[in-house]
Amino acid sequence: MLALDIKHLNKKYEHFQLKDVSFQLEKGYIMGFIGANGAGKTTTIKSILNLIHKDSGEIYILGKEMLEHELELKQEIGSAFGDINFYTRNKIKTLTNVIKKFYRNWNDDAYYNYLKRFNLNENKKIAELSTGMKVKYSLAIALSHGAKLLILDEPTSGLDPVARDNLLDIFQELVEDGEISILFSTHITTDLEKCADYITFIDNGQIINSSEKEEFIDTYRLVNGKEEQMDSIKDQLIAYKKNSFGFTGLIHTKDFDPSWDIKSALPNLEEIMIYFSKKENLHV
Amino acid sequence: MYNLLMKELKLGVNPFFYIMPFLTGALMLIPSWLYFLVLLYFCFLTIPNMFAGYKTQNDLIFTSMLPVTKKDIVKAKVSVIVILELMHILIAMIYGMISVRLYPNLIYLFFKPSFGFWGLCFVMIAIFNLIFISMYYKTAYKYGAATVVSITATILFAGCAEWLGIQNSFVSNLFKGAGTEHLTTHLFILIAGIMIFAIFTIIAYRIAIKRFEKVEI
Repeated sequence: MLALDIKHLNKKYEHFQLKDVSFQLEKGYIMGFIGANGAGKTTTIKSILNLIHKDSGEIYILGKEMLEHELELKQEIGSAFGDINFYTRNKIKTLTNVIKKFYRNWNDDAYYNYLKRFNLNENKKIAELSTGMKVKYSLAIALSHGAKLLILDEPTSGLDPVARDNLLDIFQELVEDGEISILFSTHITTDLEKCADYITFIDNGQIINSSEKEEFIDTYRLVNGKEEQMDSIKDQLIAYKKNSFGFTGLIHTKDFDPSWDIKSALPNLEEIMIYFSKKENLHV
Repeated sequence: MYNLLMKELKLGVNPFFYIMPFLTGALMLIPSWLYFLVLLYFCFLTIPNMFAGYKTQNDLIFTSMLPVTKKDIVKAKVSVIVILELMHILIAMIYGMISVRLYPNLIYLFFKPSFGFWGLCFVMIAIFNLIFISMYYKTAYKYGAATVVSITATILFAGCAEWLGIQNSFVSNLFKGAGTEHLTTHLFILIAGIMIFAIFTIIAYRIAIKRFEKVEI
C-alpha cells in the first residue's frame, strides 16, 4: 500500500513553478526529499497538506484523495516544520491540552511515554526547548494521535550532529513495525545516507529522480578525466568542474562507456545535488 | 468548532484582553465624556494587539495543520471577536448605569449613556466588523490596513453622530435631553442596533470565508 502518492502536481508562481511533480512512498518506509534551498521542497509539502492550492494534479494519502478526505486524513498525518515555531511562550502542557482535543485517537499514555523517552518536561515553555527538542515535541504530538504518515520539513536542519543522529535513530525505530511512513525534506544529505530507504530529488521545481536509495545513487557515476578527454564526452555529462588535473563530472550510468578509459566512481548524494545545480547554472 | 473556539480563548487571546473591558469600561465614569471612545479603545488596542500576536505566534499555519476546515477557522476567530466586543459593550453599559446615577444633574455635551446610545455603539462596532474582518481575511495575516480603514470608518460614524447631536435639536434632545427618558424609543434603537450588528457581522463572516478559501498559507 502506498502511504503517499503524488501524481502530476503542478503549481505556478510568478517566479517559480512545480512542474509535473510525481512520486510515491511505500507504507512503512522513510523517504528523504532532497533539493537545494528554493528547489520546491516546502512548496511540495505545503501542497500535500493542502496549505496551498495546487493548479493541477492528484494527491493520495493512505489510498485516499487528500482534497476529498482532508479532515479525516489530517487525523492520520503528523507534520512538523523545522523552522517555524508556534506559541513559544506557552508551556508544553498548555499547548498539548489544546491540541489533543482535535484528535479522536489521542492516547494520553502514549503521549507521556514519548515525553519520558524524549526527555521532555511538560512544564517547560516551547521557547526554552532546543531545536532538537522542538522536533521531538512535534513527533510526540504526532505519534500520540496515531499518525501513520509523518511529513517533516527540514526536521534535522539546525541540529548538532549528536541530536541529528539521535533523531535519525528514532525515525528508523518508528518505521520498524511497518505502520508508520516518513517523508522528510532536508538539504543535509548525510542524514539520508544514514536512514532513508527512498530518495526523491527535486531541482528547480522538477523531480529529477525518485527511487530506492542504492538504485538512486547507482543511476549516476562520478567521472574523473584528463583535460584532453573532456571535449569528447562533455556532451554526455550532466555537469562538470575543471581542475588542475583535468575535470570531474557527473554522468548518467547509462551514458557511461567503460571503454573510455576514464576513472569512475559512485557519487554521494551531495555530489549529485551539486552537479545538478551546476547544470542549471550552465543553461542560464 | 468548539475545540477551535477553546483554542482561541486559551492560546490566541492574551488574558490581558479579558481584563481590558473592565479598564476601558471604567472610562464611563468620566462625567460628560465622549463615550464612543470607550468602545473605540477596543478597536484601537485590543484588535491590533491580538492580531499582531496571531502573526508572531504563526497562528495561521499552526491552526491550518490541525484537522479543521477553513470555514471553522474563520468562524472561531469571528466568534472570539464578537465575544470580546459583547464583553466590552456589556461591561461599559454597567459602568454607564453607575455613571448616570453618580451624576444625575449633569449637562451632557456628548451623548448620554442611554439605551439608544448603546444601540448606536452596536452600529459602530458593526461597521468595524464588516470592514476589519472582511479585509483581514484577504491575507489572514495583514492586520494593519484592515485596522486603519475600519477604525477610520468607525471614527467617522461616531463623529457624524455626535455632530448631528450638536447640530440637530431633535437628535440632541433624544440622546442628551428629555428624550433620553423615552424608554420605548431607546429600546427600539438598541434592538435595531443589535440587529445591524448581527447582520453586518454575518456578512463579514461570509465574505471572510470566501476570501480565506483562496488564501495560500
